Amino acid sequence: METTEYLVKVEDLSVTLGDNVIFKNVSFELEKERVLAIIGPNGAGKSVLLKTLLGIIKPTSGTITWAPNIRIGYLPQRFHVDFYLPMTVSEFLDLKPTREMTNEEALKLVKVDASWLTRKLAHLSSGQLQRVLLAWSLLDNPQILLFDEPTENVDVVGQESIYTLLHHLQDSTGVSLIIISHDLHAVYRYANHVLCLNQTTTCYGEPEAELTVEKLSTLYKDQTFFHHNHEGIEHLEHEHIHQGKE
Amino acid sequence: MTELLTLTTLSGILVAAASGFVGSLLTLRKMTLLSDALSHVALPGIAIGVVFHFTPLLGGVALLFLGVVLIWYIEMRTKLAIESITGVLFVTALSAGALLIPEQDLLEAFFGNVQNITHAQAIAQAVISIGIITTALYLLKPLALSSIAPDLATSSRISQSRMEFLLLILIAFTISVGISFVGVLLMSALLIIPAVTAKNIAGSFKGFISLSVVLAVAALLSGLIISRMYPVNPSFAIALVSSAIFFISLIIKKPAR
Repeated sequence: METTEYLVKVEDLSVTLGDNVIFKNVSFELEKERVLAIIGPNGAGKSVLLKTLLGIIKPTSGTITWAPNIRIGYLPQRFHVDFYLPMTVSEFLDLKPTREMTNEEALKLVKVDASWLTRKLAHLSSGQLQRVLLAWSLLDNPQILLFDEPTENVDVVGQESIYTLLHHLQDSTGVSLIIISHDLHAVYRYANHVLCLNQTTTCYGEPEAELTVEKLSTLYKDQTFFHHNHEGIEHLEHEHIHQGKE
Repeated sequence: MTELLTLTTLSGILVAAASGFVGSLLTLRKMTLLSDALSHVALPGIAIGVVFHFTPLLGGVALLFLGVVLIWYIEMRTKLAIESITGVLFVTALSAGALLIPEQDLLEAFFGNVQNITHAQAIAQAVISIGIITTALYLLKPLALSSIAPDLATSSRISQSRMEFLLLILIAFTISVGISFVGVLLMSALLIIPAVTAKNIAGSFKGFISLSVVLAVAALLSGLIISRMYPVNPSFAIALVSSAIFFISLIIKKPAR
């Protein structure tokens, strides 16, 4: 039935904003029911890459080919809600232009009680808001979800459970994922492919093969440090450097 | 006389309702200062109308649209903040307008003149206001989404620049029907203050918009009534009632945590 093998195919993509080369010559492809993780230091162009895929930013060169009539869901890194915004969760979800399910069904998918519908959007914690955004992006039953993980300000419980939730969604609905991740544990556990981005692609392949100490230290340079966890597996963690701008 | 008064009042209610509605959308997008400044852009047009003896309002409308297109175009080309561009246009228009308008007509242009509204004008204002309200209602969802979550809107294939242009056009129409009631200087009394007051007290989006509409209409009606009872210019009365409601709302509303 399907004419294309890939949900999305990116070839030689470059973005220059003003005089700044954000990234160049990025190529990758994603098949159905697969998870691609994009990792890299702050300011490496990861968020811009996602926005370019979505058409929010225009590429300078290269091509992005989406499967025909694809439904794409998007969870932005920052979703600032004005504290005085008078809008309930239900009213926010009602703004979705196209939908395949009710607000209640979408909230159920993200394991949130329907009583949230009457809560004010501005009164949710960052983790709760992320759940609501995930519900928003699921409303039109997308084939692929683009998730830009926040680097800061998300409550830890929320952050842990969003991965479990995405994994669960992937199992139950077969949705494909492109995730910008800062959590290498999650990348090891859930991603089929990983793409290291720092202005250009420094690694691309399966996490087991690509996430070597050498490749990761090339990618993160001085923004990282090594340590051993309880199981004695060597892994990386970045410092929480404040990301000043998007 | 009484028939004209009734017509003017009815037209005023519709104008205020349109202002309250559009104002609530402006507040969401943080374009409030813009609308205030934009209203002054009408001034040179009104001046040309006065000098060449045609309906000043027509000149004002023409200039407003020119201003909107110019603002939108400069913003697309330069990435300057929309409010900065408006700042430049506003000072230019205000001084050019004040220079052109004969001194005895200047006050009327600044503060409006309800008594001078003609039969035809009242009907035209009512019809345009209904048009504004219908358009805003029809496009409420994409307009609201592109204001509160621009990225989500773009990823849902809603064009940011198109929504911005649409909102600017709605503002221009609203100002053009509102200035004969409150003048170019006090347009905020109908466009901004009711919306800000409503935002401060409303608990939902629907409540916010409805309250903004109700407060704008209430301010206009009480202003008109006060000006019938006391020797006060209606536009001052409307503006003062509007801001009085705002300050009362501050007392009613418990401060945020």
